Amino acid sequence: MQPETNRQTHPLSYKHKIAIGISLLLLCSSTLLLGQTKFTVSGTIKQKSSGETLIGVAVGVLEKPTVGVTTNEYGFYSLSLPQGNYTLRFSYIGYEQQSIPVALNANVTVNVNLADGVSLQEVVVSSKKEDENLTSSAMGTEILNMKTAAKIPVVFGEKDLVKTIQLMPGVKSNGEGSNGFSVRGGATDQNLILLDEAPVYNASHLLGMFSTFNSDAIKDATIIKGNSPAQFGGRLSSVLDVKMKEGNNKNYQVSGGIGLISSRLTIEGPIQKEKSSFIISGRRTYADLFARLSSDLKDVKLYFYDLNAKANLAINDKNKLYFSGYFGKDVLGVSKTFGSDWGNSTATLRWNSVLSSKLFSNTSIIYSNYDFNVGFKSEGGEINFNSHIKDLNLKQDFTFYPNADNTIRFGFNVIHHTITPTKAEGSDIVNTKKSRIGLENAVYTNNSWKVSEKINLDYGLRFSFYNVMGGDTYHIYEQNQLPQSVELKKGKVGKTYFNLEPRLSANYRVTSTASVKMGYARNTQNLHLMSNSTGGSPTDQWIGNSYNIKPEIADQVSLGLSKNFNDNALELNTEVYYKSMQHQIDYRDGADINTVPDVESELLFGKGRAYGVEILLKKKTGTLTGWIGYTLSKTERQIEGINNGQWYNAKQDRTHDLSIVGVYTLSPRWTLSGTFIYTTGNAVTFPTGKYLLNNMLVYQYGNRNADRMPATHRFDIGVTYEKPSKGKFQSSWSFGLYNAYGRKNPYAITFKENKINPEKIDAVQTSLFQWVPSVTYNFKF
Amino acid sequence: MKTIISLVLLALVCTACEKTVTLDYKVNQSKVIIDGNITNATGPYFVKITKSLKLIETGTYPTIDNAVVSIRDDAGNRETLTPRGNGIYQTASLKGVPGRTYTLTVQAENQTYVAQSTMPQQVSFESIKVEEVVFTGETEYNLIPVYNDPMGKGNNYRFVVSVNDKLINQHFIQNDEVKNGVVNTLRLEINDDEVKLKKGDAVNITMQCIDANAALFYKTLMLIGDSGPGGGITPTNPPSNISNGSLGVFSAHTIDTKGVKL
Repeated sequence: MQPETNRQTHPLSYKHKIAIGISLLLLCSSTLLLGQTKFTVSGTIKQKSSGETLIGVAVGVLEKPTVGVTTNEYGFYSLSLPQGNYTLRFSYIGYEQQSIPVALNANVTVNVNLADGVSLQEVVVSSKKEDENLTSSAMGTEILNMKTAAKIPVVFGEKDLVKTIQLMPGVKSNGEGSNGFSVRGGATDQNLILLDEAPVYNASHLLGMFSTFNSDAIKDATIIKGNSPAQFGGRLSSVLDVKMKEGNNKNYQVSGGIGLISSRLTIEGPIQKEKSSFIISGRRTYADLFARLSSDLKDVKLYFYDLNAKANLAINDKNKLYFSGYFGKDVLGVSKTFGSDWGNSTATLRWNSVLSSKLFSNTSIIYSNYDFNVGFKSEGGEINFNSHIKDLNLKQDFTFYPNADNTIRFGFNVIHHTITPTKAEGSDIVNTKKSRIGLENAVYTNNSWKVSEKINLDYGLRFSFYNVMGGDTYHIYEQNQLPQSVELKKGKVGKTYFNLEPRLSANYRVTSTASVKMGYARNTQNLHLMSNSTGGSPTDQWIGNSYNIKPEIADQVSLGLSKNFNDNALELNTEVYYKSMQHQIDYRDGADINTVPDVESELLFGKGRAYGVEILLKKKTGTLTGWIGYTLSKTERQIEGINNGQWYNAKQDRTHDLSIVGVYTLSPRWTLSGTFIYTTGNAVTFPTGKYLLNNMLVYQYGNRNADRMPATHRFDIGVTYEKPSKGKFQSSWSFGLYNAYGRKNPYAITFKENKINPEKIDAVQTSLFQWVPSVTYNFKF
Repeated sequence: MKTIISLVLLALVCTACEKTVTLDYKVNQSKVIIDGNITNATGPYFVKITKSLKLIETGTYPTIDNAVVSIRDDAGNRETLTPRGNGIYQTASLKGVPGRTYTLTVQAENQTYVAQSTMPQQVSFESIKVEEVVFTGETEYNLIPVYNDPMGKGNNYRFVVSVNDKLINQHFIQNDEVKNGVVNTLRLEINDDEVKLKKGDAVNITMQCIDANAALFYKTLMLIGDSGPGGGITPTNPPSNISNGSLGVFSAHTIDTKGVKL
């Protein structure tokens, strides 16, 4: 009898704790306690032509100009007001504003379809509302609409979300030909990349030249540079939240594009008319098919493909199911001697439920898998290396709208990770590494509080805990010596790390055109990417917390100033930040992470700091739109055992970073676009001296990362021509020239003995792309 | 791996190019370089003491000819080496015996440097296996040193390769961390940017059984050499087994040389 009772009381007390936490949060919002008869108007807002739900639509009340909410990521809004007659105003940039009178004598549902097409030529840079940047307390946040990305020229003409994100201040590309990026001095693995809530562990294709996101299947993307609300967590530097389209629920539609090295095709349509829909989108590159025509490269395989699919099903007015999936693979091979493939697959099942007019619930079950294989074959035998990371993820999120001034989110998240480090397989292999299990859990609550007409406050708390689970032997190292080992039985919890992550951001509107913001956030990270290469490589492997590896922690404070000019046509946002990081990881000198029996024996731990200023000036309307982004920053690490324990530059440290993006609408048919970027080179270690050892030349090195690669700068241009549509059939041509003035940007520098005079050492720079033209034909019917 | 990836990248991006650039180098601190070897072959054995040059300097490396150099082993033998000029010091009677630990002491420029190395038991170098692979229309040669790794773990091998009597300035280290106690089938990962093997080449490979510290030193050099996409590590001075900030390595190892004509 006793255990039975225990089992019942335990979860109750757990629930109690959450309930207490939520009540506390509710108490903070004082307006809640005012007694007055109130009713709630709620509903879903969709795009008129396709039925896609719209995220972030501003819902205002004409009679109460200070009151307003925005729709959540499922297009849902809820607003509680005293009994009365009101006019609701729905506005979203790029869409026709709509006003609807509402007699609020009971709880009512108002669903709205907003018509787009007011300003098709307009490039929506980031805003939802014209002065969103002034009223929102969100800091370091940029929202990218795919309309924007479509016009920006990129290498090979393949429009790319991640490449466009890299043009924002504070977000730096890891280098040409790389899709990895660094946010505010963080490492590549410190970005949480979500595709319909599923984490994507390697967001690049083709050795980093393309992102895994097929722009045809993407609705929008938001990047949050460290000050994310409490529902996000698990990475130190940023959240890149990518949402897939839901598909047209009114008409069947086919769209696609044919480019020089890849083609795309998307089919979407209704399942139940105006209620549910599907979308399937696929992509494949074929550069290698051309390459194989040349006899030199006929043995080479190099391509990727990916497939996005999504369907939604309305069960009734209050419940909706979504299923989304992604599958992508890269293949690289050379005849029969070498073969490699890697890819992500994700699947998300979501259930949206309007529990009451004030309470919205979303439950997600998410599967995510990344695996990497490489095999070498010779007469002597075969050897294969592979690594995986597999997640099962349960998320429960509630949005509660207690009144017009507060929006409360609360929920929990449990992720079951199975992590297999790079492990060799083949004849006679003795080095057997085992998969490790980790449980990543979090409970959170967050409130967006409209304190007054001028002040917005966003505050929350995330409690995260990570369980190191059994099934493997964990070694504990001290100074790289092995003092003890722990053999953990399967299903047993070895070690648990707890972290409390407070988040706070506030916005104060100083004048009608200016506001100041401040924010503080703590983020923690339980999974870490072990990478030896500078640019990010598919061989990089993930590892969870262990007895040696503790959760990484970052504390960031930031201060911002926003000012709008010319009736919100020009927007200036500046932010300064300081970030301090604990438990940062690096390798000891000479570490070989792929063959060493336990990679943990090769690790060193220390701290990091990053600080900088970001300036973003956007022009949002008119025939010329675009932005100028500039970042001045510094990022350093201090790790015992590296650089004699002195602070040194992180490799992603770059002093200056400038990007200028312009889109000029010549006529309704012709659009011109241009991008200019300038960045300081990465921090690297060049040799300072040389000596002979056993008659072989050896280089001498000074301090770590004390040198700089030469600066990178480049100008890209693009032209888009939209053909007059014939009935339903629309088409366009896009031409691009990447690196228009042919700058030889540094990709790598190697040191070699001069062929004529071996006593002289040459620094030889390799460049990748000079004058890369592209042409793409896009169609839709 | 590196060469394959860069080759594919180059194939894909026809505009890729290389050029020699001028860089600003940080100040270099000239260091004492100690290069000492004891083998199981009959002596004499040599220790060479030089100093490093700035990267941009040309000309010969400065040598230290007035050092006091001695080596002792754990069997009670001790010897002071005779200076031969040009930074070279030579033993007279010392014997290289597998299993013995050798301690090198160098007094130079008012500093004392000490290093220790243990000569592993010899693993016999059976032969060189040559594989021909036709890759992108060209024949490539894979060199596989054939030896039978003993059951005990912790064996490290270094290979010194010369082609037509020309020493290849690349480092090749193998160990039994992945495969243990079997006949080796792994090829030497020769960077073919610099060395193109062709039919008729005379290849000589010396196999050294080296201790863990010397292996770490050479492995670090090997990993630094494999820089670029898909491989490579942040370059650093390899961890030396010599004390007091000297660069270089002192290695007691066995040697065995085999030759093959392609």
